[in-house]
Formats: sequence, C-alpha cells, structure tokens
Amino acid sequence: MIDVQDLTKQYAGRVAVDHISFRVEPGEIVGFLGPNGAGKSTTMRILSGFMPPTSGRAMVAGHDVFRDSLNVRRKVGYMPENAPLYTDMKVKEYLHFRGELKGLRGRDLRVRTGEAMDLCAITDVRRRLIGNLSKGYKQRVALADALIHRPPLLILDEPTNGLDPTQIRHVRELLRSLRPAHTILLSTHILSEVELTCDRVIMLHHGRIRASDTPRNLARQLRATSLVRLELQGDGRISEKLEALPGVRKVIVEKPDGAWQCYSLRVESQNDIREAILDVATASRWKIRELHRQLPTLEDVFVELAASEEGKKR
Amino acid sequence: MRTFWVLLKKEVKAFFVSPVAFIVLALLMVLNGFSFRAALTVLETAPSEGSIVTWTFQPLWFWLSYFFIFPLLTMRLFAEEKKLGTLETLFTAPVSTWQVVGAKFLAALIIYCILWLPGMGNFALLKWISGGVVEVPGGALKGSAVILFVMGLFNLAVGCFASSLTSNQIVAAIISFTTSLLHFLLGIFITNIGKKIPAAFADIVNYIASVEHIRTFTNGLIDTRPIVYYVSLAALFLALTHQVVEFRRWRP
Repeated sequence: MIDVQDLTKQYAGRVAVDHISFRVEPGEIVGFLGPNGAGKSTTMRILSGFMPPTSGRAMVAGHDVFRDSLNVRRKVGYMPENAPLYTDMKVKEYLHFRGELKGLRGRDLRVRTGEAMDLCAITDVRRRLIGNLSKGYKQRVALADALIHRPPLLILDEPTNGLDPTQIRHVRELLRSLRPAHTILLSTHILSEVELTCDRVIMLHHGRIRASDTPRNLARQLRATSLVRLELQGDGRISEKLEALPGVRKVIVEKPDGAWQCYSLRVESQNDIREAILDVATASRWKIRELHRQLPTLEDVFVELAASEEGKKR
Repeated sequence: MRTFWVLLKKEVKAFFVSPVAFIVLALLMVLNGFSFRAALTVLETAPSEGSIVTWTFQPLWFWLSYFFIFPLLTMRLFAEEKKLGTLETLFTAPVSTWQVVGAKFLAALIIYCILWLPGMGNFALLKWISGGVVEVPGGALKGSAVILFVMGLFNLAVGCFASSLTSNQIVAAIISFTTSLLHFLLGIFITNIGKKIPAAFADIVNYIASVEHIRTFTNGLIDTRPIVYYVSLAALFLALTHQVVEFRRWRP
C-alpha cells in the first residue's frame, strides 16, 4: 500500500526526514512513534500529497505521490495534526462539503455522511457550528472527514491528541474495526497507544528510522533495562550485596536522605528483582522505605536507542 | 468541473455566513446613495454636459467606497485558510490549485457584482419617480457596468494575490488596498502635475488612468483598450496567486 524509498525532506537547510525507507502492506495498522520534531508529520504530509519530497520516492496505492498526486489523494484519507476545520460551518454541512469534494454524489453522499458521523459518534452535534465544539469533538469531525469516502489508506496524524481516556478507547476500537478494509498509518508520541492499536511500529528520531518491529518485540527490546529505586537503612556492604543479585548491571549510589541511603539499580528487565532485593534485605536486617521499579519513558528509550546507535558506529 | 462547483458554492456561502458581505453591501449602499445625491445636485443647479450616470461615478464619494470593497471581499480568501490550517485539508483532497484559486476568485466576483445591483437600482428608481423626465441613457449605463466589471476583475485579482501572500487578514487587506490605490493614483498624478512632463509619457500613463476610463465609459463610449488592459492584468495576478499557492509543491 505504501512503498517509501530513500525519502528525504529538507526545509531551508534543516533536514526533517533523512533517507528513510519502509513498506506498509494492505490491511496493516502501522504506528509512527517518535518525539516532537522527529519527522512524523513531514513524512505523512508527503505521503498524503500535500508537499513533495526533496529526494527519494514514495508510492501510495501504486501511484507516485508527486507525479500522480491527484490519484494518491483520491485514495488517501488524511487527518492533519490538530484537526484544522472551517470553524464557521456546521458539522453535517462540513462533512457534506468534504464528501462532495472527494467525489461522493447524491444518495451515496448522504449515506456515507451519516455512516461517518455514526462511526465517530458525532451525530448528536451534526447541527452545531464546528467553532463551538470541544477539542474532542473537533478531532472526531476531522476523523469522520478522513474516512468519509472509505479510502483504502488512512493517514492520521496524532488522532487521539486532546481526547479524554474514554474517547481514546473509542477511537482505538474504531480504528481496529476498520482494519480489514483499510490500511492505517497513524502517528503518536504515546508508547502505550501504539502497543494497543498497531500491528507494527516504525520509530523515528531526528528524521531517521531507529527501529521497525511489532510492538511486542520492540517493547521487549526497548525495555532491556529498567530502573529500580531503593531507600533503606542498614549496615554492611550494601552496594556489593545489591550488585551480586542476578540481572543487576549497575548500582548507582545517590545522595542519602537523612539516615536513609538511596540507591538506583539498572536492571535487565526480563526478571523482576524486587522480591530478591526484599529477601536480601530481610536476611541482612535492612529497613526498607521505598522499593520501586521504573519502566523507561519514551524519552529514555530514545536516548538509549540513540546511544546504542552511536556505539554501533564506533 | 464538478469539483469547481462544489468549491464555488462553498466560497459564495462563506460570504453570507460571516457578516462580511452584508457589511460591505450596507457600506456601499450608503456611499452609493451619497454619490447619487451628489450627482443629482450637479444636475439641479445648472445645465451640464454629462448625464446622471456620468456624474454618479465621478465624485469623491464613489472613489471612497470603491477602494474599500476589494480588501474587504478578498482579504479572507487564502489568509484565513492559512491561519486555520485548512489549506492542508483542502489540498489533500483531490482538487487542483487552479480549481481553488478560480473558485475563490469567482466567488468574490459574484459578490462584487451583487454589490452594485442596489446602486444600479437607483437609476431605475429615479426614472420611475420623475415619471421619465430625467433621462437615464442606456449606453452610459451599459458602459459603466462594463468598466465597473473589468476594474473589479483587476482589483479582485490583486486582492486574491495579497491574501495568498500572508496568513494575516489585516496584512492582506493593507497590501491589496495600497496596490489598488497606487494604481489609481498613478492616473491622477499625471493630471495633477500636468504639463511638466513630456506629452508622450503623459499619453502612456493616461492609458492606465482609472479616472479616464470611468469618464469615457460612463459617457457610453465602450473602449476595448481598457478592457484588454484590466482583463490581462487580472489574469497576471491570478497566475501569480496560483504560483504562490503552489509554492509549497515546488521542489527546492
């Protein structure tokens, strides 16, 4: 459905997307994951035919995004970041206009408009002005617009941005229900989001693809180490005992808080060593105030990824 | 073609959803009334060469209203879409840049034509009230309709262009207002400094003087030169607008 080869986009000397290549097969839900400025939106704008790449090639549904832009746009439902909409139109009126623009006519147009509004749960606001709607509703109007003409490919830029947890769950279910007929490429910077929705994750950082795998494999790989924080009172060779535990890579001694000694342990995350620590503590008669395992945030993950890549280069 | 109609319908509707069209219409009706009254005064006091039509499109009142129309009608067209970010949704639907530029321009033109209807109605009203005593020459009326239309084409195209340059409507309005006004002043300035410049140069500038155009056309003389001049300038500015809107698709 999507075939990207060596795609590069530069803005006035700044490289936003740097020679990326990937493929998306029909029926897949693929997530773009990365911090702000990673090049997610730029890639999606290129794929939806809004702007041309600086170099490289991108094919969508068999059409070149630059040379055959109109055909690409007929087959793509694109929802830009922050859901830009005409604020002085009513919801139904807007979807009607968008449907007509995308080639729907007569009965077809009416039926699809109704369907899209039902799917996105916005039927109850169909007579209201878009400008007066809450962020969550606006977001769903934009989503309804993206899927009104039943495009084979949906490109959604942060579709759950600004929604509350119930609405996020609703969108997630909606996307999954679209799966057989639609291929979906979505972007987000929320790790859990991707894990729950996507078949595959493409991770972008500084305009490059850092990883591309199923969420499960990726999460395992990314969470290779986790951090365990520990506050205790006791004597004896505490750090040595902690280091001796299986799976501990590094023990960091932190600033003590009064009589309490603080440690951070970098641990291989396959095994949860909290119980083992507790066992050692009871055996050595330590008093424990805090024992907490921290899963790495996306930020940590990227730092780790970047670091490991640097390492590979050397 | 179908896409073009869909876009045009939406653009025309947008004028009436926001109060813009109504405000401009009200403004124009008031100022038209003043210039019509001024023309009547001229004819009341002394015998005169021109007809009621000629005098209506001469006074300061007319030019005062005239230059306010274009920024008000066109400043929104592209600037608002840029500000809202809807240019992105618009151009990721299967529409071509020409369809969008054309629809926006034509919508503004339609509103512009509607704006003059009450003003033209004044003449019919005068004829009816005076029981046919005051003569409203048909040729002059047609001539003024033609010149207003082609001058509108040009100034609206300038406005479209100004609006495509920026995401700020005020900036767009200022650019289009200044450009239209400069073009007008270029014609005036020659008549003012008059004989001090070579006659050949003055002749050339007279070709582009809007005041002159209005004078000949409202006397019922339909000259093709100003028509060609304004239509080709309008085409130029629309082509420039197209290029600006298309700019993001250029390969660096």
